[in-house]
Amino acid sequence: MGKSKIHPDQIYIEGLAANDSAVIQSIYKKYVPKVVLFIMNNSGDKDQAQDVVQEIMILLFNQAKAKSLQLTCPFDAYFFLLCKRKWLNELKKTANQGVTIQEDIVSMNESALELIAHTEEFDQKQELFDTMFQKLGEKCQELLKLSFSLQSMEEVAEKLNVTYGYVRKKKSLCIGQLTQWIQETKNFKSLKNN
Amino acid sequence: MNEERYILFDQYLQGEMTADEKTAFEKQLSENLELAAELETFKEMHLQLENKFQHEQEREAFRENLTKISDKHFNKTKPKVVLLKPWYYVAAASAAVLFGLFFFNYNQNPVFSDYNNPEHAAFTERSTADETLKEAEIFYNKKKYNKAIPFFETILQKNKTPEIQFFYGVSLLEESNFVKAEAVFNELKSGNSVYKEKAVWYLALSKLKQKDYKGCKEILQTISQDYEDYDEVELLLDQLD
Repeated sequence: MGKSKIHPDQIYIEGLAANDSAVIQSIYKKYVPKVVLFIMNNSGDKDQAQDVVQEIMILLFNQAKAKSLQLTCPFDAYFFLLCKRKWLNELKKTANQGVTIQEDIVSMNESALELIAHTEEFDQKQELFDTMFQKLGEKCQELLKLSFSLQSMEEVAEKLNVTYGYVRKKKSLCIGQLTQWIQETKNFKSLKNN
Repeated sequence: MNEERYILFDQYLQGEMTADEKTAFEKQLSENLELAAELETFKEMHLQLENKFQHEQEREAFRENLTKISDKHFNKTKPKVVLLKPWYYVAAASAAVLFGLFFFNYNQNPVFSDYNNPEHAAFTERSTADETLKEAEIFYNKKKYNKAIPFFETILQKNKTPEIQFFYGVSLLEESNFVKAEAVFNELKSGNSVYKEKAVWYLALSKLKQKDYKGCKEILQTISQDYEDYDEVELLLDQLD
């Protein structure tokens, strides 16, 4: 991805990361109506369209913040296809019968598809991570939260009223637990794919 | 769980190993693919945690701002007690439909219902004492246009203002009373109120509802480019082509 040229529409991504209202508004004005119409023409309603758009916007914010989103294609195509795929997945979840997804892949260039795959992978990883994080015990969750929002582990120890050695060890083990779960899921997936 | 392993990972990543320990550990990594893969996942967890907690406040602020903008865009703002600026609402709502139709040209004629977003009326703030006006506003906002119409007529007999005329016209159009509706809009069109251009837009919508696409197009073409919602006019024109 690094090799491709960054598209001028990257301003939208930067604007989202900076929580720039003007940028968010212009996305709603320029690109959201098309999504709404698509969803309403495909068994959805306005409220559902609003939710899908909002989820995608938050996803883009997260990805932009993680500095892993560099637009190599126009924002329009990228955003629309992300929303569309999200909606069709929702439909698949609820529908008894399979939904035929008409992909307009012909009209998409390779970098857009690559980018969408990248974003969806980012989304899946984050979702998996969040699920696993919720599985952790309360103490682990609290300790990790402090470890990653406070400046130093000394502060964490002080805040929790325990020793530095204890928080360091505990932190390794809590992250270790997450690592183990995620690794198991990964191994299971690659087993399935082989 | 292999506790030792994760403590080792942490020491390695924090740069707390001695040179010898580090060399030995890296040798192990190069020989043991499973260990190396697990270290990668361990690092990935760090990134996830950083992303989750370091931007938490910013994320909250973003969500809040986003919800506000989104609700406004989808016309969900709670009706305010103060006088509304009706065009802002209709502009947002109809822009949604129009933009959509613009991008999705299905080669079929546009329909009135796609453009039909009658705006919210709020007259009563200024004359709370006037019961008739209040009734008219309530029925109108509940989309019970046939009930609102007689109230508008009573008001217009006493006091003819462009604003009431306009909402009367919209109600008539909603009830498909085209002749009367167009008469009202034509009167507004020849006047000089702020409703002048909006009335022309509604005249076009009236033609659209009657499936008179040619007439609709002709009227749209007369709307000046200075009109506040001209992009909608342009989009509807595109749809008609």
